[in-house]
Amino acid sequence: MKNDMNRKRALISDAFKIKKKRNGAETFGAVDEGGGPADMKSTLEHLMTLFPRKLFNDTLPPIVLKHQLYSIHDDKTLVDKEVNKLQESGELLMFQLGFDSEAFGLVFASDYRAKVLAGEEGKVTRTTVDKFLEKVVSSCPDLSFSKDKMLKEFLFTDSEITQLVKSGVLTVRDAGSWWLSIPNSGKFTKYFIQGRKAVLGMVKKSKYNEVLRADLEERRTTSQVKFPIKYHVHDIVGAELVESIPTTSGTLLRFADS
Amino acid sequence: MLGFLSARQAGLDDPLRLRRAESTRRVLSLTLNPDRDVDRIHGNGINTIDIDAIEGRYMLSGGADGVIVIYDLENHSGKQQYTCSPVRTVGRSSRHVHKFSVETVQWYPYDTGMFVSSSFDKTMKVWDTETLKPAEMFEFEDNVYSHHLSPIARKHGLIAVGTKNPKIQLCDLKSGSRIHVLQGHRAEVLSVRWSPRYEYILATASADSKVNVWDVRRASGSLFTLDQHNGEKSKASSQTVNTAHNGRVNGLCYTADGLYLLTTGTDDRMRLWNSATGENTLVNYGKVCNESRKQLQFTVSRGCSPEFVFVPCGSSVAVYALHTGELITMLRGHYNNVDCCEFHPDFQELYSGGKDGNLLAWVPVVRTADVEEVSNGENKFPWISAPGFGPWSAGWGGAGLRQGGHSPRLLGCGPALLEGLASWTALWPCGGATRTLA
Repeated sequence: MKNDMNRKRALISDAFKIKKKRNGAETFGAVDEGGGPADMKSTLEHLMTLFPRKLFNDTLPPIVLKHQLYSIHDDKTLVDKEVNKLQESGELLMFQLGFDSEAFGLVFASDYRAKVLAGEEGKVTRTTVDKFLEKVVSSCPDLSFSKDKMLKEFLFTDSEITQLVKSGVLTVRDAGSWWLSIPNSGKFTKYFIQGRKAVLGMVKKSKYNEVLRADLEERRTTSQVKFPIKYHVHDIVGAELVESIPTTSGTLLRFADS
Repeated sequence: MLGFLSARQAGLDDPLRLRRAESTRRVLSLTLNPDRDVDRIHGNGINTIDIDAIEGRYMLSGGADGVIVIYDLENHSGKQQYTCSPVRTVGRSSRHVHKFSVETVQWYPYDTGMFVSSSFDKTMKVWDTETLKPAEMFEFEDNVYSHHLSPIARKHGLIAVGTKNPKIQLCDLKSGSRIHVLQGHRAEVLSVRWSPRYEYILATASADSKVNVWDVRRASGSLFTLDQHNGEKSKASSQTVNTAHNGRVNGLCYTADGLYLLTTGTDDRMRLWNSATGENTLVNYGKVCNESRKQLQFTVSRGCSPEFVFVPCGSSVAVYALHTGELITMLRGHYNNVDCCEFHPDFQELYSGGKDGNLLAWVPVVRTADVEEVSNGENKFPWISAPGFGPWSAGWGGAGLRQGGHSPRLLGCGPALLEGLASWTALWPCGGATRTLA
């Protein structure tokens, strides 16, 4: 009986294990970093270690982009779901970074809080920011806030909102709504875009517009690239700016011109 | 597969399960086959194809040169090698041919006696298949991008037409009137689709990034607009208007049961929506390259588990799993951009047409035997004459099986012949499963 029930529960798709490997054929080259059940938190922590804190004199919390996770885990929908879960539980915060409507930055809530408060030491706006962090950030994992919400739900006054914008925690989106933001993240955006362009340029300049991933990671970076190159490689692979092709000598990155 | 078959035999499993398993296996092995061809009639690109829903036998194709061709897809020649030949053609010499490119063709959903075609020459023609003369012609003020007849409608005979004009016109086949107009879009309407579940529900996609779902019986506007952020305006730009995509929405496809709607847009994204609530299911398909300025015709498989989406992506067709968003494979074979693709549910075949003027038939491939079981050179197919073999083929409508005798000696025959045996090769518990090298 038990086998009977197991059979009824089994999905047909499991019988085929889409992309099943026949005869133990090896998927040569590509190292499956994802493997097993997706553990987003550990992946995030791993990516956070790639973030160069010293570059910003430790004023910024480590930021990871959501699409960098796509380069490690195969199933994009699963990544999205897990990130959403972490957001709802309040552990992770997501930010709209501004340079691309699809690029979302992820920061651990604890890191964010610590850095923001550290930045606010000795400033007039400290209490407001504190209040904001406590009330808003912990309770509601949104990316943006409208004026109505701020005034009615959270009972902030206009002047308080101005203080929050001044301190960098809120960025103006349009008349009457604001993005949640990371103070002093302008530098991050600038270096990031610069670095991304430079790394993409490296791939583009190579013969046939393709480069082995291991090769690229070993290369000496120009002064344009401020972040560790692995950070950028995860970024361009996850954002599908390059195609990732498994070969016998490792993963090949080919520039995707669309 | 053996497990499914013996479970079916013993009555442990529903018959549908075996059928679904086999359909899924066949779809997973789609490939180009040298023995299956479609005659090349179109001189220029092929914009649209449609396979009739009744028999699944005839395929309509509309080309960029205004030519419409009807192909017979069934193989009655008795040979493995089969080229789908054109049965009728509305060529350039015909008096009634469209002046400019044909954008959409569709069979009348109930029989192949009639079909409707719409074109950039601002007309939509309802043709009589027998005489190949238009029985009715609707003229519009602008280029017609897309039209659709409801596949299940019993109470109405409306054709929804999307043109460069933001207003969607509903033309009535029964009376010839076209007074019903749906207003709501702000830019050209690139694609329209009736729901296969409810005969009055219509979905329309427009270049203003919006997808509206309408109930045509309703006097006031649309039922709802699809919102990619599911109400969370946070991720959108400062517009408060609901957008389905961050660019033009140029493709619409309902799943066979009508519960889900797929949309593609020029923001290189494909989204899956719950068609009843309009909620974005947030399945992430990754980057689905899309540069089409016209309608993109894509399709969903039927009868498989899980379902697959076939989307033209540049010069290849991408196959995604519907609910997980995983890219299964890319079907490469066209020389230029692919514009349309259509799935044949009975045989699990995919037909795709593109700018290179070729219509390619993607056919499930023979399943190769395990390497260790290859015997030394001799081809043995003892199971052909096994008693169970005949009834299986009849029962499944010859799914993929070719007519004609199969002799036990099959040296040097192509994969097509084995295709018919493919499904059954691994089902028989014989020791020597061999394969012929193609």
